[in-house]
Amino acid sequence: MSALLAIRDSLMGERGLQRWAFYIPVVFMALFFAAPVALTLVWSVFERTMFWMEPGFTLAAYENFFTSARAENYVYSMIHSAVAVVVSFVIGFPIAVFVRRRVVKAAQHRVILLFILPFMISELVRVFAMRPVLGRNGLLNTGLMELGIISEPITIILFSPIGVVIGDVISFLPFMVFAGFLAMEAVQTYIFEVCDDIGVGRARTFRDIIVPLAAPGIFAGGVFIFVNSLGVALVPTILGGPGAVNAGLIVNQAIVALDFPLAMAISAIMLLTLVVLLYVGHRLFDLTKILQPIS
Amino acid sequence: MNQQQFTRRAMLKMTASVAALAAAGGIPGVSAAEGDALKLWANPGVHQVGSRDWSAMGAQGGITIAGTAKSARADESIQKMVVGDGNRLFDAMTDNGGGMEDALASQNAIAEIDPSKIPNWKNILPVYNEGGLAAHSIRYEGKVFATPMIANADSMAYDYKALGFHPDSWGVLFDKEFKGRVAMQNDFGPTMTNTAIYLKESGMATIKDASNMAPDEVKDVAEFLIGHKKNGQFRTFWDGFQNGVGLLASGEVLMSSTWEAIAIVAQRNIGDKGDIRYGTMKEGHQVWNNIVMLTRGGKERGQEAAYNALANVYLSPWFGARTLGGLGFAPQMTGVDAYVKANPADFSDADQERIIQILNSKNDRYAISGNAWQNVFPKNLRAYTDWWARVQAA
Repeated sequence: MSALLAIRDSLMGERGLQRWAFYIPVVFMALFFAAPVALTLVWSVFERTMFWMEPGFTLAAYENFFTSARAENYVYSMIHSAVAVVVSFVIGFPIAVFVRRRVVKAAQHRVILLFILPFMISELVRVFAMRPVLGRNGLLNTGLMELGIISEPITIILFSPIGVVIGDVISFLPFMVFAGFLAMEAVQTYIFEVCDDIGVGRARTFRDIIVPLAAPGIFAGGVFIFVNSLGVALVPTILGGPGAVNAGLIVNQAIVALDFPLAMAISAIMLLTLVVLLYVGHRLFDLTKILQPIS
Repeated sequence: MNQQQFTRRAMLKMTASVAALAAAGGIPGVSAAEGDALKLWANPGVHQVGSRDWSAMGAQGGITIAGTAKSARADESIQKMVVGDGNRLFDAMTDNGGGMEDALASQNAIAEIDPSKIPNWKNILPVYNEGGLAAHSIRYEGKVFATPMIANADSMAYDYKALGFHPDSWGVLFDKEFKGRVAMQNDFGPTMTNTAIYLKESGMATIKDASNMAPDEVKDVAEFLIGHKKNGQFRTFWDGFQNGVGLLASGEVLMSSTWEAIAIVAQRNIGDKGDIRYGTMKEGHQVWNNIVMLTRGGKERGQEAAYNALANVYLSPWFGARTLGGLGFAPQMTGVDAYVKANPADFSDADQERIIQILNSKNDRYAISGNAWQNVFPKNLRAYTDWWARVQAA
């Protein structure tokens, strides 16, 4: 009896609870990250049946992916996502630098928090709202035509790859602003003063000093945007051209066709893409710096 | 008049009619007060009329309906019903036709029904008794598993004000004159089927069955679409109701292969700025229906009588007139025109005229010999999806 009480105390006592609390993140990650990833990989090699799949080992889903146009669509999707990252950097990072450098310190976090506001609106609404702006008879074309700048509507900005990139940038730009803002922690104020003292121009300071120092954070922001552009099906559906897809839509279409192993295989390939991306990023920028305290 | 506008007066009349129905016996074994609510998995935007919830239809049938919204996705239905918990959750469900009932019945996910217990079955359109594809859409291995409720022959919407003529061929979608001003649906099913109908009926390709093509036929259709896509013929492929409405109402495209409901709503939105019509294509159309099924779980829980009551409502001219006048879906029973004329309190002269006009134009489309039945799961589904990926990549 006393042994049982001792076990109970060791499990449920104050120290026991503390020990369990320590394992909660491990359990959480095992249940909601490791297990789904493992299932994705296992199911991707299962045999396809009419409505589901059955245990087995076949690489048919991977073969189908690489021998069909899906691989081509996937590559296009990666290219569009990469362009969205670059455009987001060009627009978003200077915003982050500006807030760090020009806004008084007490107000900086409040200004940055303003960029959360768009996230309070449904992404569907935000993306859909671009159509009356970018459309043939939209605000942009109407305005430019009334100003006499163009005589015909610009149609390439909607229902095209450019439309998708615009949608991705509008949807995910705050990720670059936040990451850039945090990354600028690594760029101490005295660095700007030294640059000013020795007469380094702003463009060179930005290119040779700020960007390299903030690179790990910029890369992290870029990964968020890349992954979302690759996976969020809404943007190409609403703003893309005929049949525009991204990786998320390719998976979705495989599920619609009840081809679950194929959907899992594409998901596994997306996962591998991300792992490779993170590995390359780590080799180039040493991503551990993101977590290091600023001295 | 739209579906929502029926609410008040319809409700008053229905309250009285429920009492009458109960007194007359109506559906044997049904009592809204006594029985559990019928748990229905359906698309309320499409399958519900008379009020903003299921109360009007429940009142018509003398039952209580507890509706759960569902999408029109075939994969979602099959997953939920075959490998998921659909049979535990739902007593009845609606869905797209053209293959769904076969899949669900073959997996014992739905139950056989007895039409003799549904009084309005006597009103059902004759095509459901004649042994053709429509009749097949409610049967599995010769047994009846579903009740049809709405249908249509999908065609092309166009802005007559902008075009100045009434297109009567799918060919205009591929005409260079309208390059960049046309759209098709972002779904390999209807888009490849309608294109196949066009190619087949115009003699441009040899296609045996536009609903169920062989891999080589799928390739021909896809390559035709790829060629036109590369030439910039399509502005986009629309996906989703509001997306389809927006394309037409904004003037982004002049014509689009689309659902009739989209054309109706786009015209409501555009007002006098355009004149969006729904055409009849001489080559044919993809025809489809939506059906309501009794789940295996529903039957086991003793909900067959409540299902029969709901099916009876779906086969009543009361429902047919409202689904036709609301979003333009074809009623699945006879006698709708007579019902509309006999109920002037519910249907003004203008409404009557409009409803009869929609019905006549629908009958014109159904009369085209090249029509092909929607097939959610064609035999060579992998060929369809693989070639559709190529269309997307082009």
